[in-house]
Amino acid sequence: MMRAWPVIAAMFMALGGLSAVAGYEMAQPQAAQWREIAWPFPRDGWPAGRAFRCSAAECGGDVEVYLRPKLGFCNCDSGVADDDEVDRVADVDMISPRFVPRKAGDVVDVADMPGRIRAYDLDGHRTAIGIAVSHRCDLMAVAAQGSGDADGVQRVTLRFLESQEITKWMTSALNGQ
Amino acid sequence: MGGRVTAACCTFLLVLLANAASAQQKIGDPPEASNMRLVGTNDLQARSAYQPTIHHQGDRWIAYIGHHGGTDDIPDPVNPMTGKAEPNGTSIVDVTDPAHPKYLRHIPGQEGKYESGGAQMVRICDGKDLPKGDRNAVYMLRAVGSEGHEIWNVADPANPVLVTHIGEGLKDTHKNFWECSTGIAYLVSGAPDWRTRRMTQIYDLSDPAHPLKIRDFGLPGQEPGATGAVPTELHGPISTGPKGNRVYFGYGTNKGGFLQIVDRDKLLNGAKEPTPDNLTFPEIARMPLSAMNGAHTVFPMPGMPIAEFAHDKDGKTRDIVMIVDEAIQNECGEGRQMVWFADVTTEARPMMISSFTVPEASGNFCERGGRFGSHSSNESMAPVYYKKLAFIAFFNAGVRALDIRDPYHPREVGYFIPSITAATDKRCVTIDGRDRCKVAIQTNNVETDDRGYIYAVDRANTGLHILELTGAARAIAGLP
Repeated sequence: MMRAWPVIAAMFMALGGLSAVAGYEMAQPQAAQWREIAWPFPRDGWPAGRAFRCSAAECGGDVEVYLRPKLGFCNCDSGVADDDEVDRVADVDMISPRFVPRKAGDVVDVADMPGRIRAYDLDGHRTAIGIAVSHRCDLMAVAAQGSGDADGVQRVTLRFLESQEITKWMTSALNGQ
Repeated sequence: MGGRVTAACCTFLLVLLANAASAQQKIGDPPEASNMRLVGTNDLQARSAYQPTIHHQGDRWIAYIGHHGGTDDIPDPVNPMTGKAEPNGTSIVDVTDPAHPKYLRHIPGQEGKYESGGAQMVRICDGKDLPKGDRNAVYMLRAVGSEGHEIWNVADPANPVLVTHIGEGLKDTHKNFWECSTGIAYLVSGAPDWRTRRMTQIYDLSDPAHPLKIRDFGLPGQEPGATGAVPTELHGPISTGPKGNRVYFGYGTNKGGFLQIVDRDKLLNGAKEPTPDNLTFPEIARMPLSAMNGAHTVFPMPGMPIAEFAHDKDGKTRDIVMIVDEAIQNECGEGRQMVWFADVTTEARPMMISSFTVPEASGNFCERGGRFGSHSSNESMAPVYYKKLAFIAFFNAGVRALDIRDPYHPREVGYFIPSITAATDKRCVTIDGRDRCKVAIQTNNVETDDRGYIYAVDRANTGLHILELTGAARAIAGLP
């Protein structure tokens, strides 16, 4: 019986170690700290929007998100109809004109606005996310880029868009406030 | 002293507010005009109007007018001639006597509201002009939203007969062009597999009963299977036919627009598979506008003699394209959409040479409600006005008549802002989450006929206004 103690202790230590590793791998990055940065793109047909950055330490990889309203740029009845529309309007082309969709997009709901989301490869080595959601005849265009995998960039982007401050800003921007 | 200053400031503010308030139109107000006069009107059954085309048929003059879809309040207005609610389509009006236009027929269009319904575009060709047409027929080509395009025989304009239907399952249709001498039609469509809502489907409609597809055309990046940035969608082309051998394409609406100059022969006879190389092959030049402007109408005026250059050893005549942007936002919610003139004499290096806009302060137009800015020009090339005067639909600033004989220095010589009526629909902006609406005229499109009458139609359901020039503006056209 006495000889069993070292074995039991070793098993507990091993289990504890495995749990710690698993716990580390499963843990969310620490609460993401998004910092607003200057709009990084040259003037185009739409006024500049807002841009935010989250570092790798906090978001599991560098992520930047750009969002702006596009008033009067949407079919008032059908909204964001298909993936082609996301390709056209979501501002991913501002990051790079050479974006390639990874797969078909999905429907999404952001700030109670329906639309579509799609992931892209950028220049073969980065990931971009395009989101277009509509409110009546107006659009909210969101583009994001990151160094991590597409699922991760999409996840932190959507989580960021769900934040109270950003949801409130998007709603206000499309409501003439 | 302080009291006097306060009183003066208050008076000034009151005057400013009164001016802004007085800018809004009220039912019963007279039209505003200079060198233009109202000849006749028709309410077009209170349907939102897009393109009018005026056609001389025998001894009659017939106006064919396309419509947008209905409104939230009245999706399908009642046609008093049938007693039925009908989705907006095409109005056919006898304007032989312009003082008493007679509404002949409404052909219903696609169900849907605003830009999502109706039958916006209309072009007319006589069967005797088309190479394989029925000589007794008059053909009307119309765009019917996402339902495609239709050709009707309107030889008896009160009793049109459907000839054929072209295209199905399109994302959209819009501002077509049809060459009557050849039958070649440039149909603005949204082919389902293309990445854009509007591109060009070219058909041989020389025999309207048997349409023949020639090719799909658009910009590299719009074609099926492409990736990356998608170029701005098409608005509409105008062809100069086999003689001029050019097709001018206007892209964009109120943003990211440009003029594309295309070799017609290469377009029709070049390789047709929509690869980037094949799409680029017919292009001669592409001239971008500011990212804040789009191109609704690109109206070619080749070989214009320029008086100022008369004694120059080269360049006495210039090839000009007038480019008209489309305002979209109500109450000046965007960059100003206006009129531009491009000198395309050296085709590979087109250059913008002048512009025109209505001075906003001349009518406090940003305060009036609805859109302010340009939308479209007349497209008739009849000698009465061609290369002399152009008419621009300017939404709440009505129709503006421009002297374009020197396109380097266009100048306004007349205008007409129609009165609103009980049928005129409201236009709203969202402020603090709520709609704030005003009622204003929204002159959307304008066309002329060979007699010199000017036909303005209203997007806000006010109907058709038939106008004529007076005074100095009339003298420019050489009209008695």
